[in-house]
This record gives sequence, C-alpha cells and structure tokens, in this order.
Amino acid sequence: MIQVMDLSKSYDQNEVLKHISLTIPAHQVVAVIGPSGSGKSTFLRCLNGLEMITSGAITVNNHHLNATESKKKQQKTIHRVRQDTGMVFQQFNLYPHKTVIENVMEAIIVVKKQSKEQAKTIASQLLKRVGLQEKEDVYPSKLSGGQQQRVAIARALAMEPKIMLFDEPTSALDPELVGEVLKVMKELADEGMTMVIVTHEMRFAQDAADRILFMADGQIVEDAEPKKFFSDPSTERAQKFLAKVNEF
Amino acid sequence: MDLIIDNIPFLLKGAYYTLLITVVSMFFGLIIGLITAIARLKGNRFFRNVARVYVSIIRGTPPLVQIFIVYFGLVDFGIELGSLTAAYIALSINIGAYVSEAFRGAIQVVPAGQTEAALATGMTEAQAIRRIVIPQAIRIAIPPLGNTFVGMLKETSLVSVIAVTELMRSAQLLIAQYYVYMPFYLTIALMYWIMSTVFTFILNKLEKRLSVY
Ligand SMILES: Nc1ncnc2c1ncn2[C@@H]1O[C@H](COP(=O)(O)OP(=O)(O)OP(=O)(O)O)[C@@H](O)[C@H]1O
Ligand SMILES: [Mg+2]
Repeated sequence: MIQVMDLSKSYDQNEVLKHISLTIPAHQVVAVIGPSGSGKSTFLRCLNGLEMITSGAITVNNHHLNATESKKKQQKTIHRVRQDTGMVFQQFNLYPHKTVIENVMEAIIVVKKQSKEQAKTIASQLLKRVGLQEKEDVYPSKLSGGQQQRVAIARALAMEPKIMLFDEPTSALDPELVGEVLKVMKELADEGMTMVIVTHEMRFAQDAADRILFMADGQIVEDAEPKKFFSDPSTERAQKFLAKVNEF
Repeated sequence: MDLIIDNIPFLLKGAYYTLLITVVSMFFGLIIGLITAIARLKGNRFFRNVARVYVSIIRGTPPLVQIFIVYFGLVDFGIELGSLTAAYIALSINIGAYVSEAFRGAIQVVPAGQTEAALATGMTEAQAIRRIVIPQAIRIAIPPLGNTFVGMLKETSLVSVIAVTELMRSAQLLIAQYYVYMPFYLTIALMYWIMSTVFTFILNKLEKRLSVY
C-alpha cells in the first residue's frame, strides 16, 4: 500500500530524513514514535506531499512519486495520492467559517463533485460514526478539542481514503478528552483502515498498532511489533527513550 | 441660512455623485485589490513583480497626479475620457493598491494549517485559496478595508479638479456664484462627516454579522 524507497528530505543543508526505506501493507496500523525533532511529522507529511521529497521515491496506492521527476509531474502525482489519503493534524485545522457538517461536506462537493444533498447524507453518516450527529450545525469554535478532532477525522474520512495519516492527534487535547479520540481511531483500525499514526500515547500504540516505527535523527532506528518493542527494545536509543517516557 | 436651504438640492446631487464615485471605485478597487494580493502571494515571479511595482507606484505618488495622468495624460495617447469615467478609473486603480495591502495582510494571517487541511482532502491549491483562505481573509480584512473605504469617500473630493461635480465642486460652484465661503464649506463638511459615520456604522454591522463563528 505504501512503499518508501531511500527517502531523504533536507531543509537547506539540514538533512531531516535520512535514507528511509520501508513498506506498509494494506490494513496495517503503524505507530511512529520518537523524540521531538526526529522527523516524524516530516516523514508523515512527505507521504501525502505536504513536503516535497529531496531524494528517493514513494509509492502510495500505485501512485509513484520520484524525486527525480519534474516538480509539475510530482505535484500531479501528489494530487492523486491525496484523493485517497486522509490526514488528521495536531491542531485539528477545522475550517472556522464553516459549520461542523459543512467542514465534512466541503471536499465531497469540491473534490468529488457530488451534489450538496449527497454530500449532506454522507457527512451526516460520518458525524454519526464519530458520535457528533447532534453538533452538525454548530461552528467548530463551540466544540471541545476532542469533539473538534473527531470532526477532523470525519472530514478526512469523507474522501473515503484508503490510508489515514495522523500527526499527534491527541497532543493538543486536555487529558480527559484524549480517550474519545483514541476510541474513534481504534474503531477505524479495527475496521481495517491502513493507518500511520505519529503519537506520544504509548499505551495506545501498544494496544492499537500492529507495528512500531521508532525514529531518531531522521532515521528509523527500530521497526518492530509493539510487544517486542515495549518489552525488549533492541537499540540503546529506544531503551533510553522508553525509560524517559515511563518516568511520566 | 436661506442660502443653504435653497441650494440643498444642488448639494445633495453633489453628495450623490460623491457616493456614486466612492461605491463604484471601491467595487472595482476590491476586485483589483484581491487579484493583486493573490498575484503577490501566489503568482509566479512575473505576476509577483507586476503586482509589487503597481502597489509601490500607487502608494508612492499623490492621488492628484494619478487623476491628472488618467484624465489629461492619456489624451496624448488618443484616449479621451469623460471626467466621471476618468474619476472612476483613477480612483479604482488607486484604491486597488491599498485594498491589496489589506487583503495581503489578511491572507497571511490565515494559518498555514488551513491550506494544508484543504490540500490534504484533495483540493487543488486554487480551490483551497478560493474556498478556505479567501473567505477567512475577507472577514479579517474588513476593519482595514473600512478605513480604506472612508478614506476613499474623502479622497473623491480630489476629482473636483477635473470638473466632476461631486460634493466638493458643488460647493465651489455655489461659492463662485454667491461669494460666501464658510456656510457652504461647513455644510459639505457636515455632509462628508455624516456619510463617513454611516459607512463606519454599516461596516461595523457587517463585521459583526460575518463573525458568527
Ligand atoms: N519547514 C521547515 N523548515 C526548516 N526546518 C524544518 C521545517 N520543518 C521541520 N524542520 C526541522 O526538521 C526536523 C524534524 O522536524 P519534525 O517536525 O519532523 O520533527 P518531529 O519528530 O515531528 O518532532 P515533534 O515531536 O516535536 O513534533 C526538526 O529539526 C525541525 O527543526
Ligand atoms: Mg511533529
């Protein structure tokens, strides 16, 4: 489903991702963890083209993106990749000038070119799925963080993505609101969605993920099953990281 | 006092032209300004520079000179404009530069995450700008645009020099006829002030209406 080949990403002279290669099969739930600044967000954003890659190649859903191609060609591929990839951001990024249901309907109308009525039906179902059917006509600013993030998930699902990307979806939330978002994500995972989740929620990574990618200094230092990773990490970097996390 | 009351219809006609010129120039200025702002922020190198130079020239030259260039200067190129048309054109181009600055500031204030979220759902950059960024930018831009608008209302007095009988020139014509200054100037000052105040009031209402979220 996702294949990354020798991916590198630099900002000016600063190499943030260094020769990353991996394959993520369909229906797999991957948790990406690691210290701050290790390149987790950058890696995720390369997968749907929010960052242009410096070298290497990425294949998402049979769309082939190669750093050697012209920028125009890459942008075309990226546009197609985004059609079946959803993304959820740490800061939710809901459209503040649109109601909850309009947030979800937007891409169905603009990108999928479906009618308003169809979009409304689909959006209603999605909001029901994330438990917010009674908030349809409210503006995002009137919602709690947890509710906003669930709307953001519904908005991403509106494009019927085959892959969902999450960048620290619960990091901006009050602790008591984290659970409701994780619950929705867990349901998605159980339904077989292919997911790549950057997270600091170790418990969730352990429970919901099929695989842990531990990143440090722009590289994937460890790639293991959750059980193995959390009980017996093979690298010193990961051991130190886990020891630090467990202090909290 | 009788003098004023007798000539109120004439002055009101002048005020009507002042309003007309303001609204028409603002309308085209908004279009020019929005296009210029987008060109400056998202255009390729060529359009970016054209937009930048346009704004720089307009802001760096007196509006009176701009009006003369459009009305008198263009005649040299065989373009003879009616004074009202020249007023519309000169003021629209003038106001467009200021409007573009207001829009540019507002567009930059819309968080990058908004565009990213839109792009991530599969929108093109143009769709993201049109559907997500611009609507938010317009709301943010309303207060500065309001100031520009009121400024425009006052600036229309300049086109009296190319014989557009708006409020200012109406007063001057009356003064030339009756040889009294103060009553007429005070009256039109009052009329300008009332129009500005009403504009400001409407804009505040509009701002409230649009900021429902
Ligand atoms: N737009 C940018 N321009 C320049 N440098 C950047 C940019 N974005 C990220 N970086 C740098 O790239 C490195 C990796 O950043 P990234 O955001 O991917 O880390 P992260 O693992 O997601 O960290 P965190 O846990 O804090 O979110 C950091 O050193 C950061 O300073
Ligand atoms: Mg990050």
